[in-house]
Amino acid sequence: MAAVDPLTPPHGAKVSVKRKPVLSWAGALKASFTKMDPRVQVRNPIMFVVYIFFFFMLLATFLPGLFPDLAGVGYDPMYYLSITIILFVTLWFANVAEALAEAQAKAQADSLKEVRSGLMARQILPDGTRRWVPSSHLHSGDHVEVRPGEMVPLDGDVVQGGAVVDESMMTGESEPVVRESGGDKTSLIGGARVLQGIVMVRITAEPGFGFLDRMIRLVEGTTRDKSPNEVSLTILLTALTAAILVVIVSLAYLLGFRYPSLFNLGTIIALVVCLIPTTIGGLLSAIGISGVNRVSKANVIAKSGKAVEAAGDLDVLILDKTGTITVGNRLAVQFLPTNGVDLTQLMKAAINSSALDDTPEGRSIIRLAGLKGVLPDRIDVQKTRVIPFSPERKMSGLVTPEGAEYMKGATSAIETYAGGFPDDLALKVRDVSSGGKTPLAVCLNKKVLGLVVLKDVVKPGIKDRLRELKMMGIRTVMCTGDNRLTAAAIAAESGVDSFIPEAKPEQKMSIIQQEKAQGHLVAMSGDGTNDAPALARADVGLAMNSGTSAAKEAANMVDLDSDPTKLIEVVSIGKQLLITRGALTTFSITNDVAKYFAIIPAIFVGFAGISSLNLMELTDPKLAVLSALLFNAFAIPLLIPIAMRGVAFHPATAVELLRRNLTIYGVGGLVSAFVGIKVFYLALSYLFTDPAFMAVSEMVRGAILGL
Amino acid sequence: MIELSTLPDVILTILLVIFLARALGLYLSKVFMGRPSLLDPIMVPFESALMRLMGVDPDHQMKWKEYAVALLSLNAAGLIFAFLLLTFQGGLPLNSLGAPGMSWDLALHTAASFTTNTDFQHYVPEQQVSLLSSMLGLLVLMFLSAATGISVMVAFTRGFSRRDGSIGNFYFDVTQAFTRVLLPLSVLGALLFILAGVPQTLTQSVTIYPWTGGAQTIPLGPVAAWDGIEFLGTNGGGFYAANAANPLQNPSAVTNLISVVLMLLIPFASPFMFSRMVRREQEARPLLATILSIFLLGLFLMIFFQSSNPFLASTGVSQSGGYLVGAEQRFTLPESALFQVTSIYSNTGATSMALGSLTPGAQIDLFWGMFLQCVPGGDGTGFGMLLINVILAIFVGGLMVGRTPEYLGNKIGKHQMKWAAVTILSHPFAILIPTAITFVFGLASFSGGTAAHQFTVVLYEFTSESANNGSGMSSLNDNTLFFNLAGTIVMLVGRYLPIIAMLAIGGSLASTDPAPPGPGTLKTNSATFTIYLILFITIVTGLLFLPVLVMGPFAQGALGGP
Repeated sequence: MAAVDPLTPPHGAKVSVKRKPVLSWAGALKASFTKMDPRVQVRNPIMFVVYIFFFFMLLATFLPGLFPDLAGVGYDPMYYLSITIILFVTLWFANVAEALAEAQAKAQADSLKEVRSGLMARQILPDGTRRWVPSSHLHSGDHVEVRPGEMVPLDGDVVQGGAVVDESMMTGESEPVVRESGGDKTSLIGGARVLQGIVMVRITAEPGFGFLDRMIRLVEGTTRDKSPNEVSLTILLTALTAAILVVIVSLAYLLGFRYPSLFNLGTIIALVVCLIPTTIGGLLSAIGISGVNRVSKANVIAKSGKAVEAAGDLDVLILDKTGTITVGNRLAVQFLPTNGVDLTQLMKAAINSSALDDTPEGRSIIRLAGLKGVLPDRIDVQKTRVIPFSPERKMSGLVTPEGAEYMKGATSAIETYAGGFPDDLALKVRDVSSGGKTPLAVCLNKKVLGLVVLKDVVKPGIKDRLRELKMMGIRTVMCTGDNRLTAAAIAAESGVDSFIPEAKPEQKMSIIQQEKAQGHLVAMSGDGTNDAPALARADVGLAMNSGTSAAKEAANMVDLDSDPTKLIEVVSIGKQLLITRGALTTFSITNDVAKYFAIIPAIFVGFAGISSLNLMELTDPKLAVLSALLFNAFAIPLLIPIAMRGVAFHPATAVELLRRNLTIYGVGGLVSAFVGIKVFYLALSYLFTDPAFMAVSEMVRGAILGL
Repeated sequence: MIELSTLPDVILTILLVIFLARALGLYLSKVFMGRPSLLDPIMVPFESALMRLMGVDPDHQMKWKEYAVALLSLNAAGLIFAFLLLTFQGGLPLNSLGAPGMSWDLALHTAASFTTNTDFQHYVPEQQVSLLSSMLGLLVLMFLSAATGISVMVAFTRGFSRRDGSIGNFYFDVTQAFTRVLLPLSVLGALLFILAGVPQTLTQSVTIYPWTGGAQTIPLGPVAAWDGIEFLGTNGGGFYAANAANPLQNPSAVTNLISVVLMLLIPFASPFMFSRMVRREQEARPLLATILSIFLLGLFLMIFFQSSNPFLASTGVSQSGGYLVGAEQRFTLPESALFQVTSIYSNTGATSMALGSLTPGAQIDLFWGMFLQCVPGGDGTGFGMLLINVILAIFVGGLMVGRTPEYLGNKIGKHQMKWAAVTILSHPFAILIPTAITFVFGLASFSGGTAAHQFTVVLYEFTSESANNGSGMSSLNDNTLFFNLAGTIVMLVGRYLPIIAMLAIGGSLASTDPAPPGPGTLKTNSATFTIYLILFITIVTGLLFLPVLVMGPFAQGALGGP
């Protein structure tokens, strides 16, 4: 690579792109047909049976002479043609479902790929010189410089400088974020665009293995192995299909030899296709793909579909107190003056001591006093001496030009500073502490006036979410560095099930190991490097995008919005994924009951007493079979929205969920099939009495017979 | 009106069964967990001598494959021994009736039949089996097959609570099942039968000279002893061809009820034993409720359908005691129905009615019991089938609550599904394929009956053999090379495929990590789950077998009933 101007990109080189995901309807439509390839179809054993029967019926319709024994009896060109067409439509619907789910994923992957392909990067060589290289030539450990308007070529850590970065390519609409060297905000995702500032980045991923690539691979499905439950369900459905095949094929033989006049190849094939679980079989892969899609829509990158499924199984959630359960800062909630001190006097002193305190605690004191109508005195900033907070001093304050010394701080520090502490206040300190709150003593000129009570504020809405988790049977464990009293108070207020006080980040690891040893599935979220081992050990580890590369590398999911409560959403998506599979399987099975009542009377027409099974009063046997087959086919597209969106999930106990989903999808499947088949039957009866249709149908019949 | 005066007796009998089964279940759990139990002082010396003799270390814990190989070997040995005995019985002692050696295919069918707990009899026992073959061959097999079934259930159960991949020692289990359960209880049963008037002798016949003139030879033998294990072991092979309809085998309403209690005792004790062994005692409830509700429905339908025959009703013939053709006149309809439903639903297969003469509705009812195989099913294996059904139901149901399905602290994954799938397939395969072959190649001959009835009879033959039931409809000439060989294969498949699956599932559960039930786990001990389980079993079984029922009993005409 020739040496070039290191500052401006070479002419024509791509350093940045912007593109939104666009769902390609035409692509999905095309894919729904190319999926008719037998090599694709054979992957789904249930639909493959339909596929084989489709070709069989195609031959039987147009070349009945090939099967004189089978098609000779009861051959009716229009009836056979109709069955052939419906079989094709059934297959096509299943393909559409899969193609749509894939197109959704592909749209996302394409927009990401656009980012990656042909991106140029400004590499910094060890001798300090800079040169332009394609990003695909970079390796882990290389250094690059990224300037405003350019994209970060690969995942890496900021080692020098700081910048405002737009990660919307990955995170959608989220606001620009700051990334700088040192601390916990060093990591950059490949594909992020620098808006402001110049950073030197050390690449931490090999080309093709960054987040971007992983995300592309996942949504494209190249790494989409069937998840464990999907495998088990496929085994069950395949066994059911095989059993039904045996039942119906032996029935066909028995009919053929004992009641040759009743035998009809088309009806037998229709019966098999109706009974095998085509509804769930046709939608199964779409459900899996959409599950992963939903996770990415929630701005979470899952490294495998398995991790998403595991999220549905979680029993224990380890949550950090700060940032997840509480807003992260203590806020003033109360003023407690000592005996002989007026409340206003205390408030005045408190806000004066905090006048130049920019911490959230300080501001909250001013806000609380303001609510009670007390405003700070005007302070001449120039002449005021600020005594800043330091961990050793454990207090802060200011000295006004007039010499008034306002101080607030930890009670022990103030006691030493003031050289004493009022007895009544000492009692109040104990009360406040035992309530899990933090007392701050306030004094003016070394005279203790009273306390400001600070409290950790629980995030709005967290209580409801924790209750939902509890309902789903998930136990929450809060980790906090606070002492036991404070932790207990927060735990009680938020409704968290248990808590670990005075916890160090390393302790999460041992908690996870303990829980796992008892057979629990554990999830946690984290962002620091010291969270990495625990994130790796957890069954579901959700790293914050704002966190370090080590944390993101170790976790099996990364939240691009850096919202620790996202775990709760991920759990819901995982559960939805499993419920959707179970619900549609139930739907498939209960549907079959109604289909039997449509087809069995049609097959055994003329048998004594068979009319008692004809609950839907379908008098024309052929139309009855076609109606059942049509309902079977149209169940697939009608359920595509449910497969893609997932079954509505409301947190509830397992038994309630079972009852609810059995009612909707079990009883619903039964009733809808009876109603649906009857509706199709009425429509077909109407169609087949229409003279125009009959004329066309006669022409087709003649044409086929003429072949 | 139906004759229902004995209905209270029927209900009391079932309550008695549940009461006794509960006690027996606790006892079984002690025996198979190796805890001290009642018969220790008598049996321990005998058992340890037996173990030493066989060279078996009863503490050695087997993985499922080793267990299965041991089980199959012992069963094969039993089958071969009985086969040789029956083939050569003509030249062996204790044959005062002069029964000739059986043809090889009949001997094979008979040996397989008693080894697999089917006890289908393609022969007339009182004429074609010598006392030696009975005592040393068939009687031993009746104990062995029942003990095998119990062992399978125990090993399967252990899989739920163990974590080291082992499921017990087959030799220990089968010995305990014999010495601690079958032997003492069948002796007790035999004593009750003797008290109630069933003959027990080594004399093979007596000749009487009735006042009508001439001489009549009445075959006798150790009938009471035979009855004890026939019913307790859910075997069902009769000492007499007429089985429980023969007044020597089943003389009174009392012996009828003793038989019922014996047949249901171990199958109903199984849920109690299971819940004890997995240390979750409430879990017996949903299982027992499932068994009991389907069983009672079967009993109700039997009484309902047999209460009147629609063909007779149209002729104006009075059927005040119910439709009695094929029923034993000595018993009332509820008594006969209780015995027959018990015998078929427990896959004992003993008969006290002529099954081919029942109304079509009653026949469908009996088919239903054999298609289900698990309400309560035969000793051990019936309960094993129920557990497999629970696993299947819980898989679909578990998904619907949004978790990887789990049962009693075990995640249900692909290994369990694979073997459960094998059992879903084995029953329809083993029943329908030979039925189709029979008609496609015209291999059956009948003594009368309509086309639909003939179909019913063949379907019944293979259903009974696949379910290891053993009852049959007499209008089929089934002692032919085809039916003997096909029947042998069907019985072996119907018996050992599910047994292997049960052991494999037990073994795979024992090798999976525990998944302790939490608040989010689907509670199986709940009314919702129980109802779901009943519906699941009913719908899935119905889907597979409805078409053939329509071709068979349904096509015979109106079902029957008042």
